Amino acid sequence: MLSNADFVAFALTIRLSLTTMAILIIIGTPIAWWLSQTKSKWRSIIEALIALPLVLPPTVLGFYMLLTLSPDGIIGASLSAMGLPSLAFTFSGLVLGSVIYSLPFVVQPLQTSFASIGQRPLEAASILGAGPLDRFITVALPLSKMGYLTAIVLGFAHTMGEFGVVLMIGGNIPGQTSVLSIAIYDHVESLQYGAAHSLSAILLVLSFAVLLLVYSLNKRVLLLGRS
Amino acid sequence: MINIRINLQKASFHLDADFSVAETGVTGIFGPSGSGKTSLLRVIAGLESQASGLVQVGEAVWQNESSFIPIPQRGIGMVFQEPSLFQHLNVVENLNYGIKRNRITVQSIEFESICELLDLDRLLERNPQTLSGGEKQRVAIARALLSSPMLLLLDEPLSALDKNARENLITYLEKIFQILDIPVFYVSHSSEEIARLADNLILMDGGKVSAFGPIEEVLSRMDSPLIELDEAFSVLECSVHSYNLPHLTSVESCGGGELLHISHITREIGQKVKLRILARDVSLCLSKPTDSSILNILNAEVLDISELKQGSRTVKLSIGGAKLLAKVSDYSAKKLALKPSLRLYAQIKAAALVG
Repeated sequence: MLSNADFVAFALTIRLSLTTMAILIIIGTPIAWWLSQTKSKWRSIIEALIALPLVLPPTVLGFYMLLTLSPDGIIGASLSAMGLPSLAFTFSGLVLGSVIYSLPFVVQPLQTSFASIGQRPLEAASILGAGPLDRFITVALPLSKMGYLTAIVLGFAHTMGEFGVVLMIGGNIPGQTSVLSIAIYDHVESLQYGAAHSLSAILLVLSFAVLLLVYSLNKRVLLLGRS
Repeated sequence: MINIRINLQKASFHLDADFSVAETGVTGIFGPSGSGKTSLLRVIAGLESQASGLVQVGEAVWQNESSFIPIPQRGIGMVFQEPSLFQHLNVVENLNYGIKRNRITVQSIEFESICELLDLDRLLERNPQTLSGGEKQRVAIARALLSSPMLLLLDEPLSALDKNARENLITYLEKIFQILDIPVFYVSHSSEEIARLADNLILMDGGKVSAFGPIEEVLSRMDSPLIELDEAFSVLECSVHSYNLPHLTSVESCGGGELLHISHITREIGQKVKLRILARDVSLCLSKPTDSSILNILNAEVLDISELKQGSRTVKLSIGGAKLLAKVSDYSAKKLALKPSLRLYAQIKAAALVG
């Protein structure tokens, strides 16, 4: 049913989504924590910047990334000056694009979750002798479990479904940049509807399953909180 | 001594507090809501980073013009109005949170004795969500004490509780204050709690400290801003006299020899009791009413009458030497022609036993 190339595309998509999600959790945590705690005037600007991928057509994002990653672009030029290979049309380039593209889907649930803890538990911890990092690890993190679950799932699922950015900066190199959404597009282009169906169905079922998981866990937590 | 001289400017509120109190006993911070009581505690704890001025507890300077000791290093125990236990930890883990981070290596209060004093033994494995309001506050108090603080700050710890739970917790607090050898700041807008628990009193009004000192001293001064407050009260020292009336206990005011009848209490004859009487619960008559449902009608002499404020005056009375405040409307004051040394009758509508 699935061709060898489809399997490669599937494996690549999972690898890309996992890598992106892991990076996003690592960089999204301090950003979301800062946004949830700060009173700085910079906050709105940073929030708007992070939310951009929500409203911008992915092709616009991909186009600008292609420009900066190309040998003449800012990133591309500095990379080649350091003797490093170009990121355009590589897996690393795809990861970079996906991180930017999926950033709001990780930062926003984390920020909401951190903010909903309120200042009181953190003040209490501080008075009991806990420093800033201690407070974050022993109070904020455990009270934000649901926020992390949501962020992990959304970051993963949203990267899995991306198309426009990949098309612009990744192209269609099997095993390198040819992810599921691109493979589906290819199948449709060449009128192989059966193959497109199989891949689409896999994406549909997988996406539904992870979202169902999140929402049912969320509900259990809500019910617990009420009792 | 505890020396506080602080300034805090917030959007529509200015806190300006300057006072010194003894480093022992319970200092009640009393005043109407919005008078800055909670803000004052928060500044002392270090929770208001914009505050400027001096916060000094004994030898330790927590804040002055050039330094600001971070909150975790101050050695404070604090209990908030609403219980603030960590929801993701059970009771014993909550208690251990402060112990683990204690800067002082010697525990000033033993875990076992605190659990016994506050009846926590049954609760140790429970989750905070399953505790009643009173139980949560008991755990919060124990958690604060177990961190071996230099100063205990209590911000209206009873206000979120119903009447029974409040009565219950106040007896726990009395037990704890007896054995505690650190100073306590106790914020409340309940004169009953203050009269029962406090040794010193700080009065706050409109973001300012209007009076401070030992509680008897602040209460007995006529120029004390307390008398301006709607919640003005006096404390009458009495001794148990007899049990002649059904369901009632008769007590004799110290110095005055006047008899008051209060709800039945089980104390020995001759034992001292303290009654808290709100100024607005005292009314005045020129002749002795004989057909009133009010039990306590005392011979009184007018000592002083306050300035007019919002249509009413506070009258300071002497009950055979003991001081009592009464709040009357300016209209009544004129009608009765109140003036110092006038002899009249004071009717007391309600008195709360506070010690």
